[in-house]
Amino acid sequence: MKSLLCLLAFAAAANSKTILIVTADAADFVLAAGGTIASMTATGDRAILLRVANDDKNAWDLAPEQAAARTSAECEQAARALGIEKVVSLGYREGELGGVSPTELRDRIAFHIRLLKPDVLFIPNPYAEYVEQLDRHYTGMAAEEARHTAALRNHQPPLAAIGVEPHVTRELYYYAQPVDPRRREPEAAATFVPQPKVVGIEAAFSKKLRAARALKTIQTAAAMRIRQRLESTGRRLPLLDTVNEESVNKLVEIELRGLATLCAKDFPYKMAEEFHYAGPEYQVPAKLRR
Amino acid sequence: MKIPASETIRIAGKRRVYHACALLLAAWPAAAQKLPLGANPPGRTVLIIQSHHDDHTWEWGFGGFIAKLTGAGYTAYFVRTTNDEKDSAVGWGRGDEINHRESVAATRFLGVKDVISLNWRNDHMDSVPIKEVRENYILLIRKLRPDIVMTWNPWGHYDRNPDHRKVARAAGEAAWMAGLANVHPEHRAAGLEPHRVPFVYYTQRSDYGRGHAPNVAIELTEDHVRRKGEAFFAHNNVRGSPALAKSIRSRLDAQGLEIPELGGLTDEQAVEKLQKWSMESWSRQVGEQHGAKYAEVFYFRDEWDHLPGLAKYLRDNVVKR
Ligand SMILES: [Zn+2]
Repeated sequence: MKSLLCLLAFAAAANSKTILIVTADAADFVLAAGGTIASMTATGDRAILLRVANDDKNAWDLAPEQAAARTSAECEQAARALGIEKVVSLGYREGELGGVSPTELRDRIAFHIRLLKPDVLFIPNPYAEYVEQLDRHYTGMAAEEARHTAALRNHQPPLAAIGVEPHVTRELYYYAQPVDPRRREPEAAATFVPQPKVVGIEAAFSKKLRAARALKTIQTAAAMRIRQRLESTGRRLPLLDTVNEESVNKLVEIELRGLATLCAKDFPYKMAEEFHYAGPEYQVPAKLRR
Repeated sequence: MKIPASETIRIAGKRRVYHACALLLAAWPAAAQKLPLGANPPGRTVLIIQSHHDDHTWEWGFGGFIAKLTGAGYTAYFVRTTNDEKDSAVGWGRGDEINHRESVAATRFLGVKDVISLNWRNDHMDSVPIKEVRENYILLIRKLRPDIVMTWNPWGHYDRNPDHRKVARAAGEAAWMAGLANVHPEHRAAGLEPHRVPFVYYTQRSDYGRGHAPNVAIELTEDHVRRKGEAFFAHNNVRGSPALAKSIRSRLDAQGLEIPELGGLTDEQAVEKLQKWSMESWSRQVGEQHGAKYAEVFYFRDEWDHLPGLAKYLRDNVVKR
């Protein structure tokens, strides 16, 4: 029996993948892809999070420096709840990626791709429309490009010199919260164009919820902003009459259930997440695939 | 038979009668689905953030909707982000001056209270850092506290104009980032508190491929459309070219055709008539498509649309105090 378990563990380890998740902010990867990531780590995959910006503005009544420190600690907790092994922060200031050199950002992401050699990449979908936080767009553009340049020897020559070799990432998930009304339209069927993919997350929902709740600073700020907007227009949400840990946690659960239901619509799931996905066949021109 | 100009334009020849709109206007994109007619959002202040002096008066512009909102009691402010120095035949300095003056005159037809000119350099906004433009807008949003922002669509396709693209992204971000206290915290020292804009309307040129997919139609009255036409033509520096009327008339003449309603008018008078007709005709075509006499179409971002997981819950559970 013991040897059988050892054999199973060995088989699982042999098939396990390395996943690199690139996120602009501490909340987006949890809300858009947390369930899928938790499902993968639960089956033995190893995941690392690369967080580009520092969330120094997404807080209520905290100075930017305090907000950055707290959200950083909370992001670590959220990542742990999803089974992510490590968080690497690049430390750019939130909302300011529009002023960062796209090549600089791309090369910093490509460095981590070459260093960690992931089998799977999760990146923000830069083509998702009406995602108002443009850091996600800039991060997605840089990460999409980084996946490509990380595979090319002529990029970043010093990396090869220190033994960090080029790497091809075989699977690519583009994630975004479901705000784009055209998100489910299939893309053109040309080679190398990822297609919509819906993943059921019912089994992983509790982990996703724990991760989202760990982001206390961001979630409390969101609740306070809703309450302030309602107050300024003579309205109220009974749940937020008192904003405390309990009411914020309840609001987070409602939000996550709302997201999961939206993504599951028209699919055989109760809860889901949506992606644009390019698998290993992505490497092969359409005319040669069969 | 005399056809009223407000209904259509008649081109009469020996053998044929044409509707001139087909010659004057770019083809309307293939019939899209019928959109819901949107109500005015609750509020008092609308901030129209545009790249150029005349952006609001084009077919895809907000002109009719601005007239509708000011008629319903809204106070409107128009932001002209660039100096429009390239948009004239009279040289940079004078072009800027005239276009600014005409912008003020045009927006008056729509009931706009003030034109705020930011004077960035026309057609050079690609090289301006987005954060600099965005801060201009954030300051204005925190000062004026608009309930509605109208601007170019940051996700529009195929807009070749760098000023439209930069303004779209900067204004799209400013509309929500103005609500975060840690964004330009120094503004508080000037007494400006954070303010997130709850309602946003985006537009996009519809003659550039797919443009964007609008999700709401705004029903307009004849008066709104008339005022939009007046505003359109008030940009006389760029709209009032007699050469346009001259070239249309000579093209028709070569085919033995004429527009009877333009008979006896000078090219200056004829171009005014043609421009106002084109505006009326566009508004009517859009209206017919969406079940109204006249309409404009936009992409509307509602109060809670940025929270897709909570939008329905908030709509269902928010109550009056
Ligand atoms: Zn323009």
